[in-house]
Amino acid sequence: MTNILDDYALMSPLRYRNNWLKLTIVAFGLLAGVSAYSPIPPFFIALCMSFATVFLGKTPFRFYLKLLLAPLGFAAVGVLIIAFFSGTGAELYSFRLASYPLTVRADGLELAMLVLARSISGMCCLYFLALTTPMIELFSVLKKSGLPGSVVELSMLIYRYIFVFLDMAVQIKFAQTVRLGYGNFKKSFRSFGMLGSTLFIRSWDQGEKLFVSMNSRCYDGKMTMFETRRPVKLPELLLTSAYFLSTLTLFYLTRGVSII
Amino acid sequence: MHVMEGFLPTPWWQVWFAISIPVIAFGIYKMNKLVNEKREILPLLAVAGAFIFVLSSLKLPSVTGSCSHPTGTGVAAIIFGPAISAVLGVIVLLYQALFLAHGGLTTLGANVFSMGIVGPVVAYLVYKTGMKANLNFYLVVFLAATLGDWATYVTTSVELALAFPDPTGGFVTSFGRFATVFALTQVPLAIMEGAVTALLFKYVINVKSDVLVELKVVEESVVRKLRGLSS
Repeated sequence: MTNILDDYALMSPLRYRNNWLKLTIVAFGLLAGVSAYSPIPPFFIALCMSFATVFLGKTPFRFYLKLLLAPLGFAAVGVLIIAFFSGTGAELYSFRLASYPLTVRADGLELAMLVLARSISGMCCLYFLALTTPMIELFSVLKKSGLPGSVVELSMLIYRYIFVFLDMAVQIKFAQTVRLGYGNFKKSFRSFGMLGSTLFIRSWDQGEKLFVSMNSRCYDGKMTMFETRRPVKLPELLLTSAYFLSTLTLFYLTRGVSII
Repeated sequence: MHVMEGFLPTPWWQVWFAISIPVIAFGIYKMNKLVNEKREILPLLAVAGAFIFVLSSLKLPSVTGSCSHPTGTGVAAIIFGPAISAVLGVIVLLYQALFLAHGGLTTLGANVFSMGIVGPVVAYLVYKTGMKANLNFYLVVFLAATLGDWATYVTTSVELALAFPDPTGGFVTSFGRFATVFALTQVPLAIMEGAVTALLFKYVINVKSDVLVELKVVEESVVRKLRGLSS
């Protein structure tokens, strides 16, 4: 029912690369994408990151395409609003919807394309991180970044219990479904409420058990972590710098270019 | 309702981070104080966070047919109060971005502000006032979750409208448009979530009410009255 991206990250060969390098690549892509003034650099970033995720990270291509389509609903609504309502320039296209005029103007469309490109490039960067770096690798990064210990610990425990409860939720949902619990709207409403409350009660029990078990193992408010050393290799460094340089060049060249 | 990665342009995503970070810092401070006082609270917070994540990854039965996930923040706000809900909200939103691709990293600040701060604060205020006014507990929970969700959706519309103001009408016109379009799905969805949350609390009160009494969510007398009525 739920395919968590982390499952794919655990299988990816890029998992064993330096975490900081990957984070730098993602941060660079996100920042460059979001501050671009033309849709071309974000498009280039999206292509590069998709290539890295699918070919170097060995994510199944069809699965990746499906992932890219998933958040487009929100993007489509937002982009359409921007395209139809913003801008003051020349009219490109207009029609009337129930006596209400709708007009696409050149600069509005330009802005909409830019926002769409930024979103897609951002999604590709995010997927690169999500599909090549399992969360367990990121905990040591979180700890080193100076976040308070309690927050890191809380996120580790949450991470652990997400999988326990997801299993539980899926089992309950299957059990409800085979008993026709989602047959019609009223039934599914009731079933969903029961699912939620059972999940809550069981997770609460689990939390109390967890405290007892951690205490009996001398938990003193600190969990130590082991970080594997993974030095950055020369080919990785070369590829990354080539990518950075070409993006920056493209960024500079397309500063004033408009595509419409 | 998550704002997608890369959707907010440059000044705005930083602005929302700047607004959210102090609130989160305050939440962390409150949480640390609570954890130092009562050590057993940390595992409970952890399972609550995981619960919110799992609840929000399930699909609500929906009337409109749109893809609809509950936010789950209403439950957290009622049980733990807004400060700690904000911290849980940050972690859950980060996991949603990384595991489910809901929301994003640059828009994390904006999403935390709407779903982790404004929503829970409104839900908590509604809950507290409702309980003071001696309304029916389930009605208050329903109102708190629904209004919290609406507050979230209005905040998201504000965020989008500020980032993309209308050239002639400015912020107000643009806000009206975003709010109208998103209202189609968000208004019925919030009512659904409110009803589901009320149902959830009904089962919890029937089976394990001592948890809620211990966390000072409801008074012992209220529980007794509710159980007397429902059983």
